[in-house]
Amino acid sequence: MGELIVNGSTSARDEAAVRVGGLSRRYGEIRALDAVDLTLDRGITGLLGPNGAGKTTLLSILATVNEPDAGDIKIFGLNPKIHAERVQIRRQLGFLPQELGYHRHFTVAGFLDYVAILKEIVDRRRRAEEVARVLATVGMEGFGRRRIRTLSGGFRQRLAIAQSLLGSPELLVLDEPTAGLDTEQRLRFRELLSNLPGDPVIVLSTHQADDIAAICPRVVVVLDGRIAFAGTPTALADTAAGHVWTATQRDERAHMSWRDGDNQWRHIGDLPPTGSVTATPTVEDGYLLLSHAGGKR
Amino acid sequence: MTPELFDGPEPAPSAGWHAPVTVLASYAAGDLGNTYVWSIEAHLSDCALCRGQLSVHTDNERLARNRSVVLAMAAIPGARWPRRLARRLGLPDHVLVLLSATSSLRRSWLLSVVAVLGVVTGESLLVHALWPHHAGIAAYSEPAVLAPLLLVGPLLVLVGVAAAFVPSLDPGYRLAVAAPFSSLTLLLVRAVSALTAALIPLACAAVVVPGPRWLPAALLLPSLALCAFALAAATVVGPTAAVVTSGAMWALPVAWLTVTQSPLESVEAHGQSLCAVVAVAAVAVVFARRDRLEMRWAS
Repeated sequence: MGELIVNGSTSARDEAAVRVGGLSRRYGEIRALDAVDLTLDRGITGLLGPNGAGKTTLLSILATVNEPDAGDIKIFGLNPKIHAERVQIRRQLGFLPQELGYHRHFTVAGFLDYVAILKEIVDRRRRAEEVARVLATVGMEGFGRRRIRTLSGGFRQRLAIAQSLLGSPELLVLDEPTAGLDTEQRLRFRELLSNLPGDPVIVLSTHQADDIAAICPRVVVVLDGRIAFAGTPTALADTAAGHVWTATQRDERAHMSWRDGDNQWRHIGDLPPTGSVTATPTVEDGYLLLSHAGGKR
Repeated sequence: MTPELFDGPEPAPSAGWHAPVTVLASYAAGDLGNTYVWSIEAHLSDCALCRGQLSVHTDNERLARNRSVVLAMAAIPGARWPRRLARRLGLPDHVLVLLSATSSLRRSWLLSVVAVLGVVTGESLLVHALWPHHAGIAAYSEPAVLAPLLLVGPLLVLVGVAAAFVPSLDPGYRLAVAAPFSSLTLLLVRAVSALTAALIPLACAAVVVPGPRWLPAALLLPSLALCAFALAAATVVGPTAAVVTSGAMWALPVAWLTVTQSPLESVEAHGQSLCAVVAVAAVAVVFARRDRLEMRWAS
């Protein structure tokens, strides 16, 4: 499989923040990643893919939490297989795992204080400054004394995002950061990511194609442990050009069809339904078409 | 900065002297030395006019930020007596925070350990008290009464240490692994603390049971060897498998000795020698394969 460069220029490739080559990972008989090649630059890159496609495995390898069976990774020119370089990477890393674990007795501030120490912020005053800063960033200033177990799902997710921002990392690896957030919180999250200072490398996985379209200049579609697409959201949407129609009736020949808000049937397929009108494809259409093609393989 | 204090003409005083505007501005910016800060603050507490002047120089954003930091410092736990005591004993504050995220150092865990040891000890005492009346045998010469404590004691210590490093028992381990703080240091700090915390009640139980006087000391080395073996084995197999293997390596011989000879033999000279060899070898393996231990912990 050829290398897919998300930000395609040669110079960008030379200076790429993250380079991954031939990355493979198996869990027993299950092939989670299969010879993945990828180059990421500064800015936000969205990972799209169905459950079990390999997104979480890819992210956990980028976050140095997991080891690949084969392949090479360079993050800011550093090799995570070498202990000293792995530590250097971790000093620049903010990681939001899919399931944030915390001890039941932790308060919000206590938890962030703990993570700040793990990020080598040892001085008590500096820790407090960082805790205050990230709490303000996610709009949780008054929540320091609250026990985490008493927070709603949305606030827990905000706290999870807050801990990833401790130490102002250069590489943010976020596994489904918008899961559990309501619409307003998702919009706030988009705003937060877009306004982060220092132009860090941000890789986030999501099931929400509209999140990708809204904030990610680059998108990578992972299917079956392989990269099925890498490019801009517009380019992903364009892959569905000529394959999306709206009609008043459902057409069985379509790969997928559903009734939209205007009570019209939206079809994705190879043949236009009778009496249909060609529709402008969205990122979601492009992703669904790719998923369908991937499913057939 | 060492400004001339209280000698400027402004703000125009009606009576007495006032702090110059430049000094108030330096004070608001946090640029004054401690001596001057104390002088200014003593003056400000009595002078409404200077307080009014000071408000002009305050940076509201900075004040809000400082307020947030103060609130965060107040919200961060740390005032309870065990932590204050540990701090006085010289343990760094950040290490105490790290230990607070160790399940086997929580009160509920330690109480469970004490409860189990209480049951085992109580059972030994009861058998010891009743046995001579019915069988005419001195309990001291019947070491089988010690079998439950000998079997359970080191295993309790092992489980406590396991809770400090087995990922499935640490809800926040992924964050710990992805952080730059040395996973090995974190793991060892937790393991040693959990080992110490579990050994204290075990030693107390060993003092209470009707056994030889050297029993409390004799339980230390087997406990240490089991924990070290579990850590060493975790560099080769998964942490859970390592702990189970280590536990089996203790439980099976003790059970066998109880049935065939005497459970006390597990902590007598031969048993201690074997434990010493295992402990030294395990520590060497942990040191040599520390990188594997860290990555195994992660995977």
